[in-house]
Amino acid sequence: MELSESVQRGLQSLADPSSFDRRSYQVLVDVSFRSLLSSQADPSVLDQPELKQIDQILLKMRCVAAVSCLEELSFSADRIEIFYSTHQEHRKEVERLLASIGRCPPHIHDASWCLQYHVKNDQVDKINEPFYLISLNTEVKRSSDDINFTCTVEQLQDLVGKLKDAAKSVEKASQM
Amino acid sequence: MLLVLSEEHKEHLSFLPRVDSAVVGEFGRIALEFLRRGSSPKIYEGAARKLCVPVETVQRGVEGLMYLMTESSKHMISKVDFLDSVLVLGFGEELNQILLQLYLQHHSEIRSILSQLPSNLPGYHNLEWRLDVQLASRAIRQQVVPVLTMRLLLTGGGDGTGELSRRVLQTDPGTLLHLISTLEGALAAIKTNHARRIFRNIK
Repeated sequence: MELSESVQRGLQSLADPSSFDRRSYQVLVDVSFRSLLSSQADPSVLDQPELKQIDQILLKMRCVAAVSCLEELSFSADRIEIFYSTHQEHRKEVERLLASIGRCPPHIHDASWCLQYHVKNDQVDKINEPFYLISLNTEVKRSSDDINFTCTVEQLQDLVGKLKDAAKSVEKASQM
Repeated sequence: MLLVLSEEHKEHLSFLPRVDSAVVGEFGRIALEFLRRGSSPKIYEGAARKLCVPVETVQRGVEGLMYLMTESSKHMISKVDFLDSVLVLGFGEELNQILLQLYLQHHSEIRSILSQLPSNLPGYHNLEWRLDVQLASRAIRQQVVPVLTMRLLLTGGGDGTGELSRRVLQTDPGTLLHLISTLEGALAAIKTNHARRIFRNIK
């Protein structure tokens, strides 16, 4: 794994026991992970320039590669162990954070529906037919949007049928 | 229910008794084409030349006929009511029967054309789906994430062009099952006693 010069410099100063003793190293590693994972990071926590560099590493590293990087930069076994155990503690959250980076189509979270009876409109009288108003709640990044549409009973049956086919194929695939 | 025809409308239709029944039948055909595809001035000019009358007379006659048909279809008036409504025009029996036949033959088609007039809500047309597994992305490698990608095709949406709009959407298997159970609940709602009572009683 390649690290930029500024990142390497930051890491080297972290490895040096005279700049950061064991306790402050531990605190720094903890704070780095927390600042990465919390969306309302306290900006004052980040005044150390080295911290900014640590964040970048966490974003790009997988643990094994991180450990070997730290070995190359002469981190003591002790400090590597601290980094590794903090990483494992926060692993799932970091992975979730990484997985949420990137673009994808709007993701459906929920659906709501409304059954109505169409009596008449300004063009045609005596319609007397039931119909549904469906609303799909979708999200992209953090903004949500609703897709609204109408459908007849037959169309809704068609839609549900197709979703059930999709669910069956998911089940079959999971059994492979 | 009787149709109430305005004086202007009656005046436009007064052209009809002056031509013979074949021509009235032809006007009926033109009026229906007008509903299906819009009017064409050439047709009016052609007819006006053959009948030696001004173009406006032909146009008003056809439009009046079309309006008579759409109003009758809109309210789904019965045979008897239709005949009673046309009686007021003072046409002969034969012409009344021609108009009645025109109405009876075409009222379903006219109603379906009217109901396709632009509505203000998009309507469901189709759903296409595919099942994928996400393996990696720029930010993270070695994933195994099942993803259901869908393309929802909707009609309308107010611009009235009849074109389909396409939305690409995604969901995960858990949400898919939730969607299925929610929408099945929607389908069950129509079978309740409450819904059936409303359908029976609002006519």
